[in-house]
Amino acid sequence: MAFSGALTLTDLNDFITPSQACIKPVEQLNKPEEILEPGAASTEIRIDSSGSYYEVAKNEPSRPSTVPQNPENKLQQAQISLNDCLACSGCITSAESVLITLQSHTEVLAFLASNPPPASAAHKVPVLSIAPQTLASLAASVSSGSRAPVAPRQILRRVAAFAREALGFERVYDTTFARHLALREHVQEYFERRDGAGQDGSGSGSGKLPMLASACPGWICYAEKAHAEMLPFIARTKSPQQVMGTLVKAWLAPKWGKRPDEVYHVAVMPCYDKKLEASRQDFYSELYATRDVDCVITTGELELLMREKGWDLSVPVEHEDEPLPLSSSSSSPSLGTPDDDAALPELLTHPGTSSGSYLHALIDAVTRAVAPEPVALSVKTVRTADYAEYALARRDTGTVVFRGATCYGFRNLQNVVRRVGREAGVRVGRGAAGRMAGARVRRRGGAAAATTGSGGGEEDRGLDYVEVMACPGGCVNGGGQLRPIAEAAQDAKDPEGFARSWADSGVHLPETNAAPAGEEGAASGDVALAPQQPASWGSKEWTKVVERSYWQDLPAWAQAEDRLAEADALAARITSEIYASQLVQASSADAPEGIQPAPFRTQYHAVESDVVGLAVKW
Amino acid sequence: MSSDLPYTIRCIATLEGHHDRAWQVAWNPAKPLLASCSADKSVRMYAYSTKPSVSAGSDDPSAVGAGRADAIALTHVSTIPTGHTKTVRSIAWAPSGRTLATGSFDANIGVWEQEEGDGDGEDGENGGGGGTREWECATLLEGHETECKGVAYSAGGELLATCSRDKTVWIWEVHPDSDFECMGVLMEHTQDVKCVAWHPSEQILASASYDDTIKLYADDPDEDWVCVQTLAGHQSTVWALAWSPCGTYLASASDDLTIKVWKRAGEHRWEGNLEIKGAHTRSIYSISWGKGKGDGGLGWLTSTGSDGKINVWDIQEPPEGSKELEHKLIASLSSSHDINDVNSVAWCARAGYEDMFATAGDDGLVKAWVVVPA
Repeated sequence: MAFSGALTLTDLNDFITPSQACIKPVEQLNKPEEILEPGAASTEIRIDSSGSYYEVAKNEPSRPSTVPQNPENKLQQAQISLNDCLACSGCITSAESVLITLQSHTEVLAFLASNPPPASAAHKVPVLSIAPQTLASLAASVSSGSRAPVAPRQILRRVAAFAREALGFERVYDTTFARHLALREHVQEYFERRDGAGQDGSGSGSGKLPMLASACPGWICYAEKAHAEMLPFIARTKSPQQVMGTLVKAWLAPKWGKRPDEVYHVAVMPCYDKKLEASRQDFYSELYATRDVDCVITTGELELLMREKGWDLSVPVEHEDEPLPLSSSSSSPSLGTPDDDAALPELLTHPGTSSGSYLHALIDAVTRAVAPEPVALSVKTVRTADYAEYALARRDTGTVVFRGATCYGFRNLQNVVRRVGREAGVRVGRGAAGRMAGARVRRRGGAAAATTGSGGGEEDRGLDYVEVMACPGGCVNGGGQLRPIAEAAQDAKDPEGFARSWADSGVHLPETNAAPAGEEGAASGDVALAPQQPASWGSKEWTKVVERSYWQDLPAWAQAEDRLAEADALAARITSEIYASQLVQASSADAPEGIQPAPFRTQYHAVESDVVGLAVKW
Repeated sequence: MSSDLPYTIRCIATLEGHHDRAWQVAWNPAKPLLASCSADKSVRMYAYSTKPSVSAGSDDPSAVGAGRADAIALTHVSTIPTGHTKTVRSIAWAPSGRTLATGSFDANIGVWEQEEGDGDGEDGENGGGGGTREWECATLLEGHETECKGVAYSAGGELLATCSRDKTVWIWEVHPDSDFECMGVLMEHTQDVKCVAWHPSEQILASASYDDTIKLYADDPDEDWVCVQTLAGHQSTVWALAWSPCGTYLASASDDLTIKVWKRAGEHRWEGNLEIKGAHTRSIYSISWGKGKGDGGLGWLTSTGSDGKINVWDIQEPPEGSKELEHKLIASLSSSHDINDVNSVAWCARAGYEDMFATAGDDGLVKAWVVVPA
């Protein structure tokens, strides 16, 4: 098995890069100190053999031995915490390099090594949750190196076996049931917004339309830092990862007789920004001093773990072909969960997109809501598959009852932000922006109203929903996914088949070790070679392979309806149980008065842009 | 001073008004109008015309010789305060001449148009240019994270490119009614991007960066914009780019005190052709490549920078038996803005004025010049 996804800092490749303008201040401890003559350097910095830095008082002939005590002052390393990152507007999204040290596979190993045995009172139950995009990435990688294609279901069994046998996890889940809950909540929220908005037009309080997807942490972070005016539009529904977190800590843990802080929950995700999401204060329980998801590792990090432990994912494990357990109450022998009602439905399929099918869940729901009236769905792809518009129109009148879009990648995201701002009449952007464009925007608004819609014609209804994801290609192409097996050394022929000498033609091929990012460097070299292999995203072809793998192999397809119905029943039960337990908690611990937080909703926080930056003079 | 050069550079106007350093000058491609931008956050516009007294006899705006310098007059016609909260670093006219884009250190790009008609129709070709109608912000483009360093309209005016210290190059499609759609966010450079320049006839974009490289981009019809080539060779920051009017060559100016010219060798392939050394003693900040008023050839290339010197070369196709472009220094002027750095130089591209260029300096002055036979 030859993966190329070894994790280094330079592999970090979620779309939006850390900024130069990190404003984490260097802390200055203002010690009272006598003032020396101006200009005289009073201390110097010394580095000892272990690499620690010391501030050392310089020999002051004028003050011999007035400071007899230890003149060496060990300096602390500057550290940037996750909360610093979240509060800083310097980077437009996460400072991923910070996350990688705080939420990493080594952190997982360190926890597992220090976890006392189950008999001990301090023992924490280690739980692993795996995203379906992660399974697809692993499956595509394993399949590409073997004759027989391997399905995500088999990968789940194999990873579960690895997690239990090699790492000591006690429970392994995939996150599709959590996604099922998220989709239900999402649909409910959409109707709340739509009906609330319809009543008084302003939709004040209850949120606005269009509703924008909330599952992509890269998008959330970008919106919080750069487009606070978009926040009211973003669904408050938690992402599947955080729904899973709630499930594990607030529903499963009590079933096991554990408190939330007695469970250690690790999620495997296709995306580095999921680490940031898990670290949000909103998902931290003050009461139990624990996070809903304690640690997030990426697909690449999981693969690295397996390699470090010498686990070969291409080798089948027992029971991996057995049908998925149908009932949530039946035990799940293949996953080795011995009891009980702590099993969750596995690998639920939600037809639509490989980024979670948020839009399609809404299309389904709206179709059902309009029910006896037949509706027709039309799809229009604009330029690339990364932006597609869906319109649901009544067959009889042609009236559009729902207009949605899928929008992947930073470029398309920009246009959605502009469009939503325009359609909803919200001022887009920061600072002086509005002041400058004010007059003209107002005038154009009037013109647009007259002609109904900027594009004219049948665009009489603005967008109702947008499935926004920051990565081109969506979540199967997340920054934490495995890269295709390194293409054979760079093609030395040009597209017409002629050999080339790059140095002669002035092309700079990055040196292997000086390249900004190992493979990335190679990839950008490839760009120069062959325009048909664009971008540093690994090849588009590979994303398609992962996409196919994602939808592959659904032996239980015939039962899908049953399984979804069953999942729905369980979801309803869980929701009410969590509500009930929250009430108990709230009354026992003096929780903030009043409103119960909805268990599967969250909130967003605009980050004020206070970056002054250095005075740039060139 | 090399007095043996065939041409001299004569100042025809010294335009005051900016109260901080002037960053860039741009000639309107359709109207007799010059724009300049400054750290004072304003854009100033100047109309120019051939003085009747001088041209009356010949009715020829291209009168030559020393008289030429007196033949053209520039006058300030309007100022846009812009509303940018920081330095306006860069300006670019759309080919129609009706729209001006401003790139600012406040990370935003302003798109400016003149208030529409008060019934007076289009201004005449020579009718005092800008007129008095107010320029207003039609759109503000946001997206850059930090200082915008460059803006440029494509030859057909369909696309606007912007670049920034945030290392990115953005491509916007111009839609009707001052609307813009983002077509690409190119994150190819590893440092500050100093400048963007469109090919004079095709949709090919070049960018220059503090990472010492030049990158070229093209639209992949099925995909997004992609980088098709990286040109390395400069030893330091590449400050400026200029395409030859014919589009076969791309000139680059750098902090390494050289100007390089790259020749197109394939649809999306360029290779080094010429290096000009020793022309400047300090950073070369700006170059411009105009048609010039020489005898055919590839036009006139001019450069300026921190040393305050202006150089003008006549560029000809390689002579028989050589692959390298022929370049001949035809005019040179030191201390063009006294002791100050000169940040921008730009040839006027309008017919009859190919011998005229403008400069912008750290002294806040904008100057207009003509190149006349010595």
